[in-house]
Amino acid sequence: MNNVGDIMKDAMDTQAAVKADGPALAQDTLKMTARNVDVYYGEKQAISDVSIDIGMENVTAFIGPSGCGKSTFLRCLNRMNDTIPIARVTGQIELDDHDIYDPAMDVVQLRARVGMVFQKPNPFPKSIFENVAYGPRIHGLATNKAELDQIVEKSLIRAGLFEEVKDRLNDSGTALSGGQQQRLCIARAIAVDPEVILMDEPCSALDPIATAKIEELINDLRGKYAIVIVTHNMQQAARVSQRTAFFHLGTLVEYGETSDLFTNPSKDRTKDYITGRYG
Amino acid sequence: MTVATASSPPRQPTDWNAGPMQRRIRARYRAEKRFRFYGLFAVLLSAGFLAFLLVTMVSSGARGFTQTQIALPVNFAGSDIFLEPGQLDGEDRDQLLARTDFQGLARQSAVAAYGEDGPALLSNGAWVLLRDAVSQDPSLLTRDETLWVPASTEVDFAARGDSGAHQTEERDAMIARYGQLESVDQVRRTLSWNFLTLADSSDPTLVGIWGALKGSLLTMTITLLLAFPIGVLTAVYLEEYAPENRWTDIIEVSINNLAAVPSIIFGLLGLAVFINVFYLPRSAAIVGGLTLALMTMPVIVIAGRNAIKSVPPSIRDAALGIGASPIQVLTHHVLPLSLPGILTGTIIGMSRSLGETAPLLLIGMRAFVATPPGGFTDPATVLPVQIFLWSDELDPGFVEKTSAAIIVLLLFLLAMNGIAIWLRNKYEQRW
Repeated sequence: MNNVGDIMKDAMDTQAAVKADGPALAQDTLKMTARNVDVYYGEKQAISDVSIDIGMENVTAFIGPSGCGKSTFLRCLNRMNDTIPIARVTGQIELDDHDIYDPAMDVVQLRARVGMVFQKPNPFPKSIFENVAYGPRIHGLATNKAELDQIVEKSLIRAGLFEEVKDRLNDSGTALSGGQQQRLCIARAIAVDPEVILMDEPCSALDPIATAKIEELINDLRGKYAIVIVTHNMQQAARVSQRTAFFHLGTLVEYGETSDLFTNPSKDRTKDYITGRYG
Repeated sequence: MTVATASSPPRQPTDWNAGPMQRRIRARYRAEKRFRFYGLFAVLLSAGFLAFLLVTMVSSGARGFTQTQIALPVNFAGSDIFLEPGQLDGEDRDQLLARTDFQGLARQSAVAAYGEDGPALLSNGAWVLLRDAVSQDPSLLTRDETLWVPASTEVDFAARGDSGAHQTEERDAMIARYGQLESVDQVRRTLSWNFLTLADSSDPTLVGIWGALKGSLLTMTITLLLAFPIGVLTAVYLEEYAPENRWTDIIEVSINNLAAVPSIIFGLLGLAVFINVFYLPRSAAIVGGLTLALMTMPVIVIAGRNAIKSVPPSIRDAALGIGASPIQVLTHHVLPLSLPGILTGTIIGMSRSLGETAPLLLIGMRAFVATPPGGFTDPATVLPVQIFLWSDELDPGFVEKTSAAIIVLLLFLLAMNGIAIWLRNKYEQRW
């Protein structure tokens, strides 16, 4: 088991590298806010009273042991919980000061603005091109084929996949390796030009090399999109995020600057978790 | 942890070479071999039955596609019929042809060519061919012409030669006569399109399958057009939209039970509802199609629901996650991915209804229909009912026609399934 010192050494190294070219945290602008959010699955309460701010310029990491509700909360942010009939969300979540659970909010548009990358790579069983082009196509973001080609190319370049697949855009997306598939899913999310990207344990099904590539990609994307990443892996949270929220048993225990949270946790529960006493 | 290990008894080494161990391993291999043998045996047995079925069908049915024909010299000009080629240009052409005694002409010509028992050598319906020939080429009326017309069942049987134990003196005489006629090229056996172009008839030498085939085509068209969309929409609704409550449970159970209801019950339902309540025409392809659609729909619903259920949730999440609306998720992803499964269900349902006889008997599709149906409301019969009717006939000439009809039915089935399988493979996706 790692001790706090080890984790923080890694984290601080990465942070130092990131801070060298990244914007300072103080410049952050508010993108999403959640206030007093409760989530119920039928009778069971999965999330209670979570309030959190998500900034535009930073990567926010949600950490916590399995079943702590971090993925559930993430799925509230683009209303993916709507697809579960028994799920009920109360409280207020705002995107740019608009309540996303307001009946006037179009959930289809919301999900275009708040994109999502899932735990298991889930490309459509279609060609690489079609995977990326699907979003722009259904949202009418391209008026002609040339524009669509451009969007696809740009998204694949941003996702760091273009060089690897440019000669086989018509091959099936499912024939790629796991890491490539996940980057394809990121490209697919980017293609609809979202403001926020939610990543639900994007590396948990990948090998270390593919994981490193995704983490690098998250660093590149920072600042262009507000990124929220759920992860099991504390080193990963330390490496890629500027802010970290620690969830436990459906509550938000602690939320703060990643460097503070890992070096100087203010709650005992946080400290116990990051030193590996449970999880 | 360490405490638990300490208190456990010391480990006994397993002797893998001991006799009982070796015996168990050998027994395991034997069991596997035995199991493989059973499987192979089952496959070979069913392949054998299938081969036997096909061979008997083809060997006894192939003859149904041929016809024994006899040469009939007809002296139109010198006959009792008083028709001029010019008369047939007018509008009353059909009436004139109907009024003319071609039957008598055929009889006269047969007597002239083959003596007193000549007419017995011709098929009862041979005169129809004379009429059709004149209708096609009125100039025949002014000259002599030798036409090939279908021979009677007796001649046809004689063409087969000796039939062993059932041989009678009359048959022997006919066989001798056939040999004579054949030596002077007055009889022949030839492949004939008649079986594929004519409809039912009381004379086995003149029957054709086209009427029943067209009836089946029309009926299946109605069935497919109704059962497929309704079945798929039902499956989609139940899987994607229906709330989970007692009503949907009842609907689900009813649909599952509907798929198991004996088909004759559907026939009664069709009779009671479509004919007695809606006054749709009896014996018509539309009623048959409606009845069979009722029967096919639950099969498509069940297969469709399973197919929709088997689309991985990750694909739905992916589409929803980039802002596809529920209907886009359905039409762009779920339906294309479940189409192979839906088509498999459709193949099964349609094959079953193509071979269905019982419900159609009840709605009157067992009628004797001598003209191919022109549309969905015309009296029609279908292939399996036609096979049933012919197998019931006394005239032995129907035996080979029945087998030939079975071959046509199987080919129809094969073609239908072939198209569906081709479609299925075309849309099959892997993930």
